[in-house]
Amino acid sequence: MGEDGRGAGSSFGTQDTDFEWSQGHRAAQASSDVEIFRRVWRNEKAAPEILPYDHLLLQRIREQILLMEDTLSTFTGAASDELTLSMYRMDIDRTMFLLRAYLRIRLLKIEQFAMHILRTEELWERLSQQEQDYAQRYIDILQKHMEQTVLSKLPFGYQSMLRQATSSEEDDMIPEPTLDTFVFCKSKEPIGSLQLDDRGEEVVDMLTDDLYILRYRPVKRLLETDRIELV
Amino acid sequence: MPLEAVITNCYILVSVSPLDVLRTDHTFGKHTRTRTQTEEERMFGRRAAQLCSELAQNDDDRLRRFDNDLFDQVIEEANEHYHQLETRMVKMQQEGLDIETTQNRDYFGALIHHLSLVRNKRCLMSYVYNRSQSVQRLRWQLGAVLPADLQEKLNFSEKEFFKNYSDLLGSYMTSIDLDLTVDTTPPKDPYIQVRVMDDLGEVLLDDQSTTLLRNSIHLMKRTEAESLISQGLLEEFTG
Repeated sequence: MGEDGRGAGSSFGTQDTDFEWSQGHRAAQASSDVEIFRRVWRNEKAAPEILPYDHLLLQRIREQILLMEDTLSTFTGAASDELTLSMYRMDIDRTMFLLRAYLRIRLLKIEQFAMHILRTEELWERLSQQEQDYAQRYIDILQKHMEQTVLSKLPFGYQSMLRQATSSEEDDMIPEPTLDTFVFCKSKEPIGSLQLDDRGEEVVDMLTDDLYILRYRPVKRLLETDRIELV
Repeated sequence: MPLEAVITNCYILVSVSPLDVLRTDHTFGKHTRTRTQTEEERMFGRRAAQLCSELAQNDDDRLRRFDNDLFDQVIEEANEHYHQLETRMVKMQQEGLDIETTQNRDYFGALIHHLSLVRNKRCLMSYVYNRSQSVQRLRWQLGAVLPADLQEKLNFSEKEFFKNYSDLLGSYMTSIDLDLTVDTTPPKDPYIQVRVMDDLGEVLLDDQSTTLLRNSIHLMKRTEAESLISQGLLEEFTG
């Protein structure tokens, strides 16, 4: 997502002070980035597992917000009418909300599944640098807390945070997201027949803009290739 | 301690009712009888279950005091299970029995103690973990400083966890240069009407200093009002 050429070579920059709100193609571009981001946010919100972090998109969104703030302050200096100003303010606030809500929902997932993400390379790569630091430190402080209150007081052989006992065959105390949970998903293009189970007994035929409630696991790949979106 | 043998044969438990094993398990029964009276309370893992059910009473994020007494009792129970487990294992070894294959009452006794221990461990951890989640929510709602009445509901390690978590969240928000704790509801209007709950004196809002007096009503930016609202200093005025 975001690599579709629409905004990758963004002409925005914070230095761009003579930016005008009414300028046609730029306005269109602005709305499309925010629109993509809104979809990314919705997907993140609905998906049970953490989704890839799009650095470029996030960077563009943040640049855009700065730019809008800049423009707004230039306007505030000049005598312009209150209503217009508050509309612009509103626009910034909405984008800011989107940005914060997006990062918040990611943090929540990182906290919940930190150890699972850390041991699964594919998931680990989906975090931003700051999020990786966060996950690592979060595990550290949680582990310390657990050790102080519970683990150090238990008998030898039962003191691991990740295993019930040393005799367990694998780390069996790591919470993982439920990938079999149901999600609302909407196809963005004709998908064709989608197999929902291993045996091929349940198949659904998805056309453009079809809305289905399906398990997350079978649609996971479609979401990664941006052929469906979650709503 | 060949616990592996115990765990690999776990499936055998299905065919044995735990109660049968408990009845033959006189040593443990005698030991706990001094503390608990009724048959039901002597059941393994009962206290751990009580501990977990206390979590359910933490409704509305109104955190209860850390139950040290019950918590320590469960820890003690876990260690007692281990003691019993060890005794049986040693006994079997002394009798020259192969732990992999022998399935006598010592074996099942040990297995039950192992499983009870593991269950107690899970309950203890989920008690601590779930409370730590409430502690994290407090950081989001109230900021980096906890009011005294909440402080005393946390145990020592939880206070430390709160501080560490607060630092962690703080440094993450600094690293991305964004305060994530504000703006928790989608904005409908950039401005919001608020009523002041207490005399707050001079406050710097939107680069202007304003005096907030008790019960006065102000129109201010939502982003600025939110942190004050969550601290209970302002409330949204809808009248």
